[in-house]
Amino acid sequence: MRRRELLVAMTGLAGCGREPRRRLNVFNWSSYVAKDTIPGFERESGVEVRYSIYESNEEMLAKVFGGNSGWDVVFPSSHLIGPMRENGLLAPLQHRWLDQLGNLEDRFQSPPWDRNLEWCVPYMWGSTGILYNKKLQPPPLSWADLWDERLRGKLTMLDDPTDAIGAGLQKLGLPLNSVDPEQLEQAKLELIHQKRLVRAYLNAEARDQMVSGDVVAAQMWATTAQQGMEASRELAFAFPKEGFALYADCGVVLRESKSVQTAHDFLNYLTRSAVGCAVAVEGKTATANAKARMLLPEANRNNEVLYPPASVLARGVWVEALPADGQRKRDRIWTEIKSD
Amino acid sequence: MNMKRALPVIAALVFTFLHLPLVVLMMFSLNESRFTVWEGISLRWYRELFADARMMEATWNSLLIAAVATIAATVIGTGCAYGLWKRRAPLLSGSLYLSLVTPEIVTGVSTLAFYQFLFRYMDFRLGMHTVILAHVAFSVAFVVVVVKARLKTVDGSLEEAAMDLGATHWGAFWRVTLPALAPGMAAAALLAFTISFDDYVITSLVAGVDTETLPMVIYAMARRGVNPAVNAISALIVAGLGIFILLAERLQES
Amino acid sequence: MRALRFWMLAPTRALMGGLFLAPLLIIAAYSFLTRGTYGGQGAPWTVENYTRLADSLYTVILARSFWIAGLSTLFCLLLAFPLALFIAQSGRRKNLYLHLVMLPFWTSFLVRTYAWMFLLRDTGLVNTVLQWTGVISEPLPLLYNEAAVVLGLVYGYLPFMVLPIFSVLDRLDKALLEAASDLGATPWKSVWLVTIPLSMPGIVGGCVLVFIPCLGAYLTPDLLGGGKSIMIGNLVQSQFTSARDWPFGSAISLVLMALVMLVMWVLQRRQKEDLL
Repeated sequence: MRRRELLVAMTGLAGCGREPRRRLNVFNWSSYVAKDTIPGFERESGVEVRYSIYESNEEMLAKVFGGNSGWDVVFPSSHLIGPMRENGLLAPLQHRWLDQLGNLEDRFQSPPWDRNLEWCVPYMWGSTGILYNKKLQPPPLSWADLWDERLRGKLTMLDDPTDAIGAGLQKLGLPLNSVDPEQLEQAKLELIHQKRLVRAYLNAEARDQMVSGDVVAAQMWATTAQQGMEASRELAFAFPKEGFALYADCGVVLRESKSVQTAHDFLNYLTRSAVGCAVAVEGKTATANAKARMLLPEANRNNEVLYPPASVLARGVWVEALPADGQRKRDRIWTEIKSD
Repeated sequence: MNMKRALPVIAALVFTFLHLPLVVLMMFSLNESRFTVWEGISLRWYRELFADARMMEATWNSLLIAAVATIAATVIGTGCAYGLWKRRAPLLSGSLYLSLVTPEIVTGVSTLAFYQFLFRYMDFRLGMHTVILAHVAFSVAFVVVVVKARLKTVDGSLEEAAMDLGATHWGAFWRVTLPALAPGMAAAALLAFTISFDDYVITSLVAGVDTETLPMVIYAMARRGVNPAVNAISALIVAGLGIFILLAERLQES
Repeated sequence: MRALRFWMLAPTRALMGGLFLAPLLIIAAYSFLTRGTYGGQGAPWTVENYTRLADSLYTVILARSFWIAGLSTLFCLLLAFPLALFIAQSGRRKNLYLHLVMLPFWTSFLVRTYAWMFLLRDTGLVNTVLQWTGVISEPLPLLYNEAAVVLGLVYGYLPFMVLPIFSVLDRLDKALLEAASDLGATPWKSVWLVTIPLSMPGIVGGCVLVFIPCLGAYLTPDLLGGGKSIMIGNLVQSQFTSARDWPFGSAISLVLMALVMLVMWVLQRRQKEDLL
């Protein structure tokens, strides 16, 4: 049995060598921290932070759903807060450890998905629209334009059922959050029809491909689009005429976390105006933090892609958590579209 | 068409097909520009690579996992091959064979499901140990195949002779059979190492928070599109593994 | 004698039992359960996951997987046979050529797949060269389609086809070929009428070694197919990750395993004894 012992000892050794410092495991979207954000927190708190990124809600949820992923803090989009709570994945927030909450914008102090911020801390918000290459004339300004034959092979859609199916629904003039089986079927047919034109279903990855010119039109989140536009002058962003999805990525503490207070400290740290400002400047993201926004340089504060004017914002629709069977229907349709 | 002339040409074409992509990749890893326009030789991407902490950590993880898994799989697999040498064990052979033909994705998801099932009753989670265990599990069959092939060339009666002369069974194994097996074990270890180092499908499913491996990083970067750093790391892997193989072969032959 | 053998086999038995068979049993069980609202699995027990596979949506994917695997195997054979023949006839340089064939195989599969992404992109080398030499004016969409997947699979598994065929050709009795030419056959004819039939075991062995992994391929269709040429392997993966439908994914996995074992049984009944 020496072999077995050797094996166990080896794997033990492999796990060894980690500092006895407290650890915090944070799983977040890409570009949601600035260079000094994590080191700053580590210096202040003496906690070692493991920070990893994901590109889609599905990717994050798949890891977290089992209840033992090892993550302490994740950032789901607002419509997933309700379902995650119902599945017992979230730890309730202790406001006594979150004194910076007052920095948030008023509408985020009491958002529709979590009236008293018992479960989440809104972090960054944004919308989904169309990132396109200015070479395309006339420019695609509505979802319907993404079904145009001229885009064949050079179009990407988001690898996210909420956004892709949403675009299909809105193209048909149907509500973004519809769970009506017939409406969903129609949207599904639209998307399957569009699939022939689609190069691939990509999230933030498409931004790099738009910059390099491989892709000329992409369904894209506004903040990621803004980053693309900074890298290439040929790109522009449009808020589709039929309407568009609004979402907010919120920080939550997972129930499985063994470092609940440290997790709160981290969220609190992110909600400080100076920290929030640094992140928003470097990542070019739209912060939910009003005080941070006030500290932003002029160009960022009034950037119309990140903070669209009221007239445009009026066309935006918050993505909602859906009832159980509606969600199942959507997940089923998404599989059907992807595997067609 | 004269076959004597056609065959070498066809063979040359196939060899080109086999090697050209990798050669091109390695060439462009030295390209200054990030696009396919040649802009002069530069080590820029290699420098960026070494400066990337995530990449370095992933490389370290991959090496560690591969090393531990290789040692474990080689030891366990050699024992198994020895046990199967002179007598059959149909159930065991059957499951080893099955593990060889099972598609990686099925092995991966079933291992994940198994771990998640265990997690409900035991308090641990995905991490280095789960990855290493999974790697050992899928490598063992390969080790058994290679060592068994080597065992075929070993004379079984030598061991019996040793025991007739007073050695214990274990002693006979340790001093007679094992040395004869050594080259086979080395080949098996090499195979297990490359399989483990290169694995993406299974590792990506059972990796934990701390265990990002090199293939996982490469995959993430490849999905994003243009990235010459991937060329650089690919060239390093090709060169590294290539040298490793050649060295191992030299050792085996000597 | 017995005791040593017992302990030699015990670790492997534990490993196979615990980390291979038990997991398969678990997903077999899951395949009969129902998916929870957002994921997970639980009662009621049902065969719905299997009957769902009869849906044309999935039979198309199954058919496509067989098609792509079959095509890849065919192209592999067409490329590998001449190469194996050449190596078998090359006298002293045999070992060198064998090394040259195996060398790419030893390097990372992921890297080799990525190499083709690099070459086939719109702004990749192939398109750049073609445009530069004026053969085409617009980049060709070489990537993210079925052809690219087949290319990637052929490239990845070619050595698996070369080696079995070579090992049979190598042991072929040269006297038979001499006899054929003495009887007036041209070199091509003797290959067709003598060599190929005699090397059937190697050909079949190579085909099996290529077809099986291609059927269960995951990485190649994912990276080179752009997630659009979905094969069974991709379907399984998506059910276990983004779709969070583990029962359905388990059912598909078992069906895939059954298919693999069927192919093995039909083509290679004796292989197991040879290997293990």
